[in-house]
Amino acid sequence: MVLCLLIGAVQVHADSDPSGYSAADLYNLGNSYARMGKPGMAILNYERASLLSANDADIDANLQYVRASAHLPGGKRGSFDRMARFASPFLLSWIGVFGLGVVGASMIAAQLSPRHRLLRRGAMLLGLSMLGLTICNGLALWPILHEGVIITAATPVRVSPVPMGDPLFTLPEGETVKIAAEHESFALIETRAGRTGWVAHPNLAPIVPRKQAVVPPE
Amino acid sequence: MSGYLRLVRLMTAVVLGTFATAVALADDPLVYATIQPAQIALGESAQLTITNLGDTTSPITLPVVSGLKFEIIGRTREIQLINGTTLPSSSIVMRVTPQIAGIFTIPAVTPKAQPLVLQVTAASGGISSAQTSPGAPIPPPILSGGSIPKGIHLTDDGSAYVRLSIPKREVYVGESVPVDIEVGMRSGFVSSLNGLPRLTDDNFALNNLSHQPERTEKLISGEQFVVFTWRSILAVVKPGTFALSAEAPLTVKIRTRPRRESALDDRFGDPFWQNLFGATVPKDINVKSPPQELKVLELPTEGRPADFHGAIGTFSIASDVSPAKADVGDPLTLRMRITGSGNFDRVDSTMLDHVDQWKTYPPKSSFNTSDPVGFSGMKTFEQPVIASKPGAQELPGLSFSYFDPNTRRYETARSASLSVSISPSLADSLTPPQSAGNAAPESRYAAGLRPDHVNTATPASSLIPPYLQPKLLGIPSFIVLAFAAGWAGARRRRALSRSEPADRPSSRAAKRVLAQMQAAARTGNAAGFFDAARTALQPLLATRWQIEPEDVTTAEVATRVGTQNDLHQLFALADESKYSGREPSAIDFARWLRVVPLLLSNGKST
Repeated sequence: MVLCLLIGAVQVHADSDPSGYSAADLYNLGNSYARMGKPGMAILNYERASLLSANDADIDANLQYVRASAHLPGGKRGSFDRMARFASPFLLSWIGVFGLGVVGASMIAAQLSPRHRLLRRGAMLLGLSMLGLTICNGLALWPILHEGVIITAATPVRVSPVPMGDPLFTLPEGETVKIAAEHESFALIETRAGRTGWVAHPNLAPIVPRKQAVVPPE
Repeated sequence: MSGYLRLVRLMTAVVLGTFATAVALADDPLVYATIQPAQIALGESAQLTITNLGDTTSPITLPVVSGLKFEIIGRTREIQLINGTTLPSSSIVMRVTPQIAGIFTIPAVTPKAQPLVLQVTAASGGISSAQTSPGAPIPPPILSGGSIPKGIHLTDDGSAYVRLSIPKREVYVGESVPVDIEVGMRSGFVSSLNGLPRLTDDNFALNNLSHQPERTEKLISGEQFVVFTWRSILAVVKPGTFALSAEAPLTVKIRTRPRRESALDDRFGDPFWQNLFGATVPKDINVKSPPQELKVLELPTEGRPADFHGAIGTFSIASDVSPAKADVGDPLTLRMRITGSGNFDRVDSTMLDHVDQWKTYPPKSSFNTSDPVGFSGMKTFEQPVIASKPGAQELPGLSFSYFDPNTRRYETARSASLSVSISPSLADSLTPPQSAGNAAPESRYAAGLRPDHVNTATPASSLIPPYLQPKLLGIPSFIVLAFAAGWAGARRRRALSRSEPADRPSSRAAKRVLAQMQAAARTGNAAGFFDAARTALQPLLATRWQIEPEDVTTAEVATRVGTQNDLHQLFALADESKYSGREPSAIDFARWLRVVPLLLSNGKST
């Protein structure tokens, strides 16, 4: 198990990218877009920053402020969301792995020796709690991972995924929508009001980018 | 008959004279006009007579009415004796030929006169396939002698003709050939045109035949003809050599009197007189053009391009894309314009398909013709394309293949490639936006923002939580598998440590039987010893052999498993100890105490 954790740590370390995402960079990027009067891109980057740092008060405050300034409905977080996202997903990943190890060790110990039953049960409970925290964090983040932000003003929502498709209605810049499916260069979205339609990719940015590669600045 | 007609003419003159006298007595107006008949069909003519009573010869100008044609066909001057008073009068007789249907108002010839109204209805009457029937007498020709232009073959009575003009004598299957169909009708001798012209051969089709033909007038052999010209596209569907002609259904006026009696009518050349005295009757005929030989060739298979879709003609192409700058994911419009002449209905193109770094959609096309029949013009194809990668991208050149009937070979027109500048999409870029500088006014969102952060954290390559990333899912999976294997191993080890020796009966019933046998052995009760063993084995064997437990006897055991085994020996000893009273030795008890558990566990002797 120790070997496995070591391998995982090495892999995670290798996975870090100096030109990748950081909560501070995304937060600052959101501020820049807000100052330029682009609420859609600002909200998008605040949402991305909150994925990495869920309990950052500045991120949450600026996100709510830009939403309110753009006359968009505020996305207040519920109590479950606040509890499940008390730490960053990175830390909760390791907590989950450790909890998994504790649960497994407790189960093996119970088979090997009948002694120290209370200690074993306590360890089992601790491991399950740690694993539960990670699972709750995943449940809280899962909808956000499938959401997107409208980044252009008066974005047409079309009846079919083709550029010539008839528009059903328009969405304001900064609106957060659920991405239900994708077809070629269009995404099937569902608004908070339950309306569905197809939006062209240039008008919609998923909170989790479609591709990992970051476009270098020209 | 001729005497009767003369009498009618005399009576008509008397009536007209009386009418003129009444008008003269009324003293107003001195000039009047009449039109007969007041209602005619298109293709017929009416008679307009302007009469001037009195000595004055006031100048009379021809009326001008749009859609009506006025022709002076005669002038008369006479002196009438009315109530002993001589009254000179002069008349001008005009033929009025309508060019279109409708209700026309002919202005008054003098200020005090009333305007006249002429109602012209559209040509009516069904199309008759009856040419001049073979048995019917051929009417005398109206025209005789004179030169007729080349390509015009008048009907036998000289009243009409149809001419089909084809610009070439060799065409290819599928080729569109512009043709003109000319129907000439001698003024006053054709009542109506009863339908559109058509071809006599089913191997050809007329496409885009104009419903409104061009109307002109032509003088043929000194006679006035109204000529309608239709323009169309001739489509060929089958190879071979054909004699092609066109036909048009007409209603003509057939003379009913001998020619010598209608010399005056011919001199006037006017249907009015014929109608007035019943000299003609209407007849439906089909007028055909003289046949023209047309050779239809197959398209050559040699050198046919793969993208040839049947276009035949002369074409050129041009292409452009708009806008020339866009973001990744923005739709662009790629246009291909095909200009020329030919069968544009077969001009088709899929444009671009499967181009790297581009997403293409099926194109739409539109056609703008430069002639009424759609033979020449420009067909425009518009294809939405979307770039998938940023940078300077290039759209490959387009091509269009067609068959040129002039050069008699396949040609491929090509356009140049197009360059497009594609910028990265904002949503995928982590580059801070380029502001217009510090002096640029900040937006309304800037006022309440909290300040920027200092970045100290290690950046991650993905926003997806590590526990949901497929490449990192191996860690918990490996942990789960490792602990599952360890737990299974520990459980097995514990189970092994708790398990009893193999020679001990594990079930509760076996233990009970063993206890009974041990008790019987201690007391030396051989009958009880073997009876307990047999009683324990009977249900087991009965279940296995599907018989009743009391049927499991020594004989049954011998039958099923033989006699040379512990099971049969056990049953035999049980019978012997029970019925003979034999007491086995202590060694025998110990041996059977080992054998019986095995029999109970296996159901048979080892």
